[in-house]
Amino acid sequence: MPGRAPRVTKTEAIVIRQRRLGEADRIVSLLTPLRGKVDVVAKGVLRSKSRMAGHLEALTHVEVVLAHGRSMDVVTQAQAVESFTALRGDLDRLSAALYLAELADRFTVEHADATGLFTLLHSALVRLDRGDGQQVVTRTYELALLEATGFRPEWTRCLGCDLDVPAEGARWSAVEGGVIGAECAAKYPAAVPIDATALRVLRAYQSQPYEEAGRIRLTDDLAARLEQIMHSLMRAVAERELKSAAFVSAARHARVAEEAAEATGDEDDEAEALED
Amino acid sequence: MSEFRDPSGGGATPIARLVDAFHRLPGIGPKSAQRLAYHVLRAPEEEARDLAEALMEVKRSVVLCARCQNVTTENPCRICSDTGRERVIICVVEEPLDVVAIERTGGFHGLYHVLHGVISPADGVGPEDLKIAELLTRIRDTDRDITEVIVATNPNLEGEATSMYLGRLLRPLGIRVTRLARGLPAGADLEYADDVTLGRALEFRQEV
Ligand SMILES: [Zn+2]
Repeated sequence: MPGRAPRVTKTEAIVIRQRRLGEADRIVSLLTPLRGKVDVVAKGVLRSKSRMAGHLEALTHVEVVLAHGRSMDVVTQAQAVESFTALRGDLDRLSAALYLAELADRFTVEHADATGLFTLLHSALVRLDRGDGQQVVTRTYELALLEATGFRPEWTRCLGCDLDVPAEGARWSAVEGGVIGAECAAKYPAAVPIDATALRVLRAYQSQPYEEAGRIRLTDDLAARLEQIMHSLMRAVAERELKSAAFVSAARHARVAEEAAEATGDEDDEAEALED
Repeated sequence: MSEFRDPSGGGATPIARLVDAFHRLPGIGPKSAQRLAYHVLRAPEEEARDLAEALMEVKRSVVLCARCQNVTTENPCRICSDTGRERVIICVVEEPLDVVAIERTGGFHGLYHVLHGVISPADGVGPEDLKIAELLTRIRDTDRDITEVIVATNPNLEGEATSMYLGRLLRPLGIRVTRLARGLPAGADLEYADDVTLGRALEFRQEV
């Protein structure tokens, strides 16, 4: 029938989250290039015979056919294009990916063009999956997302006087979104000192191409400081707690603790070997 | 439920309140909720009182087992106090119903631990919202003979994240951490798996 709106749409999408709806149905949040964030219903996916279930898990790049429903569209077909299985098998990368997806969820508008944000999330997932550093992928994604949505943080010039701020002795404010020099410190009572090395890394991440940024070597300790700065910035912009950010940190703490336990275990073995 | 509003404008009628209460139960749609409410309305008073008392009784007498966190009327629960169970192995599940599903297979004779959920940051659920601290305390203090923990969370993203996280916490305690074997369909719910598939997944479990 000409002139009528089409009753089905085919689109690619990245599944950013799923939540239960009644006994076996789920509401699936999709990030699509042309329609932004779309919530759709997937029926019966919790039953073990459902063929769609695996294709509609969070962090899947998928081709879906949506039938237009009265209140929400319904998924009639779903086919995974990329499942990113490598990142799913590693807790650090998986928690990072869940965090990227939560950010996409918070920063994307429903039913509006999101081609740029779709490409950002997609390439970040591809990079995590192929084993690029979790820090460089996450941090450059956060900075690009802030830039794309009009919240670009200022790491170089003072928010108060616009003069270049030396990394040593710099202060910063998450709420104001940038650094503050010594002369203007009095005007920003909420600003706190920022680690000079972390600030230099953030400047590099913001100004250099991704490949260059990826060559910067980070210790676990520096990574933790970068993470703390960027998490508080994202929280300030999103104006809410980000549960996935806390989980990224919890996963890293657990890894560091396990590695420390292994190291002491090895020392004990060595001590025993020396006694023998 | 506007048709049940008091015509005099005095807010929700008792029957509207009952319909709403049924509607909030899992798997009960608006039609079923109405049917149930009218059934109660027509039923003898005794039947209604039985229902009300059963509801109150369950809230009064059912507690969480101090050891395994499963729902129980005795504390510790029947499984935890059963001397015939193997006390070296714990099967960690998301929900009390998963214990029922695994018991039905007859293939597991160890102890359980119920997390009451799964790590799912998108739903606002982190490790601190689950009974994970209780699991660690239990292994350190009360159940010191445990050598293996099977993580039987659902075979989906949240279940995998939870099992990997538990692996990191438990391995430093000298615990072997295993996961149900593949074979359960990805993305599905343990509750809906058949006994044979679930039994096989338990038998052929793998290191996390
Ligand atoms: Zn118990």
